[in-house]
Amino acid sequence: MGEVFKLLADYGPAFGQALLLTWKLTALSFVPGFLLGIVVTVLRLLPLPPLRFVLTVYVEIFRNIPSVALLIFIVFALPDLKVLIDYEPSVVLTLTLVCSAFTADYLRAGINTVGGGQMEAALSLGLRPMRVITAVVLPQALRAVVQPLTSLLIALMLSTSLASQVPFPGRELTALVSKIATDSAAGIAAFAVAAAMYVATGLLIAWAGATLEKKVRILR
Amino acid sequence: MSRPLEEILFGNPRPQAQAVTRAVSGIAAAMLLLLAAGVALRFHTAGQLDARFWEFFAWPTTWAFLAKGLLGTLASAAMAAAIALTLGLVLLLGRLAPLRLVRWPSVAVIEFLRGTPTLLLIYVCFLVLPQAGIKLSTYWMLTLPVGLSTAAVVAEVYRAGVLAVPRGQTDAARSVGMTEAQVFFLIVFPQALRYIVPALVAQLVIVVKDTTFGYVVTYGELMQNAKVLIANYHALVPVYLVVAMLYCLVNYAISSASKRLGGPMH
Amino acid sequence: MSIQSALKSTVVALAIVAAGPLFAQGTPINAAAFDALVAQGPVADAATIASSTWASKIKQAGLLRLGGTQTSNLFSLLNEKDGKMRGFDAGLAQLITRYILGDGAKIQFTQVTSSTREQVLINDQADMVLATYSITPARAEKISFAGPYYTSQAGVLVKANNKAIQSYNDLGGKKVATQAGSTGPAILAQFAPKAVVQEFQTHQEALDGLRQGRVDAYVTDYTLLLNALSLGAGDAQLAGAPFGAQDPYGIGLPKGSDGVAFINGFLKKVEADGTWAKLWSISIGQRTGSTAVPTPPALP
Repeated sequence: MGEVFKLLADYGPAFGQALLLTWKLTALSFVPGFLLGIVVTVLRLLPLPPLRFVLTVYVEIFRNIPSVALLIFIVFALPDLKVLIDYEPSVVLTLTLVCSAFTADYLRAGINTVGGGQMEAALSLGLRPMRVITAVVLPQALRAVVQPLTSLLIALMLSTSLASQVPFPGRELTALVSKIATDSAAGIAAFAVAAAMYVATGLLIAWAGATLEKKVRILR
Repeated sequence: MSRPLEEILFGNPRPQAQAVTRAVSGIAAAMLLLLAAGVALRFHTAGQLDARFWEFFAWPTTWAFLAKGLLGTLASAAMAAAIALTLGLVLLLGRLAPLRLVRWPSVAVIEFLRGTPTLLLIYVCFLVLPQAGIKLSTYWMLTLPVGLSTAAVVAEVYRAGVLAVPRGQTDAARSVGMTEAQVFFLIVFPQALRYIVPALVAQLVIVVKDTTFGYVVTYGELMQNAKVLIANYHALVPVYLVVAMLYCLVNYAISSASKRLGGPMH
Repeated sequence: MSIQSALKSTVVALAIVAAGPLFAQGTPINAAAFDALVAQGPVADAATIASSTWASKIKQAGLLRLGGTQTSNLFSLLNEKDGKMRGFDAGLAQLITRYILGDGAKIQFTQVTSSTREQVLINDQADMVLATYSITPARAEKISFAGPYYTSQAGVLVKANNKAIQSYNDLGGKKVATQAGSTGPAILAQFAPKAVVQEFQTHQEALDGLRQGRVDAYVTDYTLLLNALSLGAGDAQLAGAPFGAQDPYGIGLPKGSDGVAFINGFLKKVEADGTWAKLWSISIGQRTGSTAVPTPPALP
């Protein structure tokens, strides 16, 4: 324990900054990823075969590609195609794309839980199909998938450790632990602190998600 | 819900709607083709379509080399998956135990392994454990953390499956006089497995993805061999593109196999 | 279209295809000469090996576990077609292996980067590390170094049309690439403290960073930069002369290992009988257009 206190004395501010950076990357990737996922899901519903095909390929690619392979492609290969993206936006872009693919998947499953009768009723009321989707289907689908999306957010938060693999300006938790372990013998203490921070953040998100889910879930 | 949503919303269109849909489809197809052409053009102007960047893909030695890397990936992934499935079961049994002395540590271990990034655990095996005197081989420095991390998630997946088995089954089994162990292993767990096969396979895909961190501990797998090809031929875009596609294909194949295994029995 | 022009375009196409690999690698290494040189290297007698626990252990294992790189054009590049690594570092590693085991091919290879070089020795994942490894006091606290077997000063590489940077004095405020865990960061801190440093894991990535415009300059060992020039003539140029202290390359060994004395004995041998000079010519000299063979650094 003494080791941990010494570590916090030396690296305290660094850990604080690292934690903030982790949260920042998580938020910056989840929000666009989530919204993009909704857009992809809705577009996939439209009866346009070319669009559906392309978007299905999109979802399959970004669900199956390892995040590190995608990040390396964006950081090291894209510049050869004259697309130069800075390191932090590259990490955010990688996580956003992956997040959007998983969101699209979960949301699709959520949509399947909405009763067909509701849609038929809405149509018979004269609502256009798009309106049915946005007013009837999506709200219920979103409420049904709070739990998987919470898991996704936690997984995304853990994936921010990717940033340690590129010359990132600033260190998030994993990069910080790696640096402390290389430079000193306080590796175990550093790992304990970082693990505690990750687990605490994850539990916080899980608690928030569970509370939200209880409030909005649809009991059928 | 019997009919899929698309059919309800968009099925049986009026002739005018059909025409509109076809027209918009055509426009969408055209725009997508334009997009593809734009990308191809960008490849061309950046010189990435030059023969020297792609010709080595015509040589069998290149593919043999990539295949070797893929074998490294799969060797680690298979063992990590085995660890995850067995250790996950152990953790599940601990989680479900009636004794608090067994249950609380199990919950703690599961929450700890689930709540930390796999990459961090890999760094621990590589940088931190040796400081404490524990020196694993390169293979295990990758396989063990990936296996442990996934075991915790697998334990939770198992638990979800177990909770989904109808209570009546457990009660009936107990009333017939089976021991708790028999109830679990003969009645509950086999049925739980059928519910959760897709989720388990999803974990397998994640295991394959995690092996791409092999280079962190200097384990030779597909990404590593990709870098050698790049150093030899300076073909960053083609090699990374092909390797990314290989990973996608492997994972997609794994996911498809799961879909063919089918869903729950009832 | 006449037969003549059709033939002409076929010849041109074939020439482009045939020239492809050459263009990509600069002057390729003379594989035959390299293999021949390694095959005739010295082999230690039993007494020499017995005098070193490090060498004896390797002899017993029948295999030398090497930490190195496969992606460094001059020093150690893996030819994926025949599975052989060639270059200055690769040659020395194979000669050392032949010295202990009689056969330069008995190597179990692990790819290391700037951040993993010390750890693989500490973790006992490798017996020795040969990877343009600069000897520094900070590293010498964790591991031991044999050699030095080569020295190089630092140099600054910039893109060919960059007139703004003439030497290391102009790096203030510019984005400069260097290899993580190498002597680059220390050199930059000393000679260009106002530079904005970006650390890359490998030489190849830093070069790509310069080429792609992520950084304005790349500071690393002069020899590596000469190699970069031999690959893409006209793409990059050196800014100023080599500067800084002579950076000694050493062979990484576990801390306190008696392999240090053993390898230093080997290095004295190959420097005396001309093998070192020949290896330098084949891997570096002939490929960067330098004819003056440098004198090997003095061994402690």
